[in-house]
Amino acid sequence: MSKSVYIARKQELPLKGDSTSLFLQVIISIAVFIFAITLSGVLSINSILENWNQSILGSLTVQIMPINDANQEKAAAETLAYQEKAIEFLQTVEGVIKVTPLDDEQLKGLIQPWLGDGVNIENLPMPRIIDVKLASDAEIDFAKLAQDLAVASPQASLDNHKLWLSKLIRFADGLKLIALTILLLVTAISAGAIFYTTQMSLGLHRYIIEILHIMGAKDAYVAQQYAKRMAVLGLIGGLFGLLFAIPIIFFIGSLATQIEGGIISEANLSIGDWIMILILPLFAMTISMFTAYYTVKRTLQKML
Amino acid sequence: MAENSNSIIEMRNVGIRYDQGPEILSDINLSLKKGSFHFLTGKSGAGKTSLLSMMYLWQRPSRGSISVFGKDINFTNRDSLASLRRRIGVVFQDFRLLEHLSAFDNVALPLRVCGMEEREVRKRVSELLSWVELDRHMLDAAATLSGGEKQRVAIARAVINRPELLLADEPTGNVDNFIAPKLMKLFVELNKLGTTVVIATHSDKLINDFAYPRLHLQNRGLHILYPSDKSGLGGSDV
Ligand SMILES: Nc1ncnc2c1ncn2[C@@H]1O[C@H](COP(=O)(O)OP(=O)(O)O)[C@@H](O)[C@H]1O
Ligand SMILES: [Mg+2]
Repeated sequence: MSKSVYIARKQELPLKGDSTSLFLQVIISIAVFIFAITLSGVLSINSILENWNQSILGSLTVQIMPINDANQEKAAAETLAYQEKAIEFLQTVEGVIKVTPLDDEQLKGLIQPWLGDGVNIENLPMPRIIDVKLASDAEIDFAKLAQDLAVASPQASLDNHKLWLSKLIRFADGLKLIALTILLLVTAISAGAIFYTTQMSLGLHRYIIEILHIMGAKDAYVAQQYAKRMAVLGLIGGLFGLLFAIPIIFFIGSLATQIEGGIISEANLSIGDWIMILILPLFAMTISMFTAYYTVKRTLQKML
Repeated sequence: MAENSNSIIEMRNVGIRYDQGPEILSDINLSLKKGSFHFLTGKSGAGKTSLLSMMYLWQRPSRGSISVFGKDINFTNRDSLASLRRRIGVVFQDFRLLEHLSAFDNVALPLRVCGMEEREVRKRVSELLSWVELDRHMLDAAATLSGGEKQRVAIARAVINRPELLLADEPTGNVDNFIAPKLMKLFVELNKLGTTVVIATHSDKLINDFAYPRLHLQNRGLHILYPSDKSGLGGSDV
């Protein structure tokens, strides 16, 4: 009996032969493909938003259009009155820390580069400018602020660029929400597919599972075999999905950088973003593994 | 349960039925003492398999209570029930081998499900398989074995874990109508070492050759007959 027999252990549950294996791999690779592209979208939007938010945070400029009147002094006084109204209103706005109207000297300093030294600006109808400091955590609805400001002081208007940007930010936020919903749905659908195919497989291998059960196998023993198998399928499917997604992410990125105006110039994915995308197959593996494990535990409790 | 600390199985007013059908067995009261040896007899359809399947914790009674190794199974969680099952060896009426696995892997099953180290598994399984004279077929798929060989694999699988309780359902018609003498000797030896044994059988020869008490199922009830008992409930009803 010194003969040592090398025995290749066969799997008690022949899960490799399950006809659903290929189906699951395809489902998972499509899921990871969609997930990777959508995620890269979310991450790009995030970096754009961060940039835009930076530029609208902190401060704000309000302009008071000058009143035109033959009587220059009267016109200037009326303009100042509108400025006063605007200041009063701005001070009541939540998130506003400090409201500072620019004085004549500062205004001249702003205009000088445009008109040159020789112009006597006292004779021109001068717009007034108010500098508004905002709290760093202020959540300001710029569209509403612009409306309220116009009511409080009809000559006052909000800095156009910020208003426009704030609308863009809202749009981007909306897109992000849709993208996150897609991520959630894709994950849920894949987990659902794993859940049902695992249940089917448990039914298919019922005979074997019953025997294992009677031999004293705990539910975890069977669940682990399914978890291992699904981990492999999840990883392979995930790698394929990623493989197809990466060129497309680069392609979309190159399209974005071609847009003039630099709006999306900040859409580049950071190293951290790329790491998140590249570990998606591991994420798919983990989800597949836990879904299978949970399904087996749950189903066996009802089945046996 | 403390009063029966040496009782392997306790059944109190046990009844079993399938789905909404009539009770197959009613008001079964039974106490199997540690180290006892019983045959289980009764006509085909009398409920032998049903009774055994409650003993190996597969079927639950539809009423009454069962304690196995002193644990009331109604108050035992799933994982603990699995641990109790590991102390029970079962030879099924139809063997229930995993046909796609080798004889070796089939016998190794009870050891592997409780996580035994593979080196130890190999040692124990090879030893036992050569004892039942199956070493030549160790790596053959169960599907390719003859009826008698399958029976030996099934028995090896049942005893590999040195069970405290050994349950054997009658062999089916495709094999000899009685358990081969050598295997019966194995059961007797294990019983001498302390294993409690219940064998369901149709074989008069077996019952007559070995003077063990019988658990006899008749009219949904359980009767215990001792070898000296000539009450006529005997093997003639097969
Ligand atoms: N899983 C089952 N579902 C429904 N009826 C069953 C089932 N198993 C056994 N029975 C019925 O219970 C009765 C007893 O069967 P069984 O315990 O197999 O008896 P035995 O082993 O003595 O032949 C039979 O009438 C059989 O038809
Ligand atoms: Mg039977």
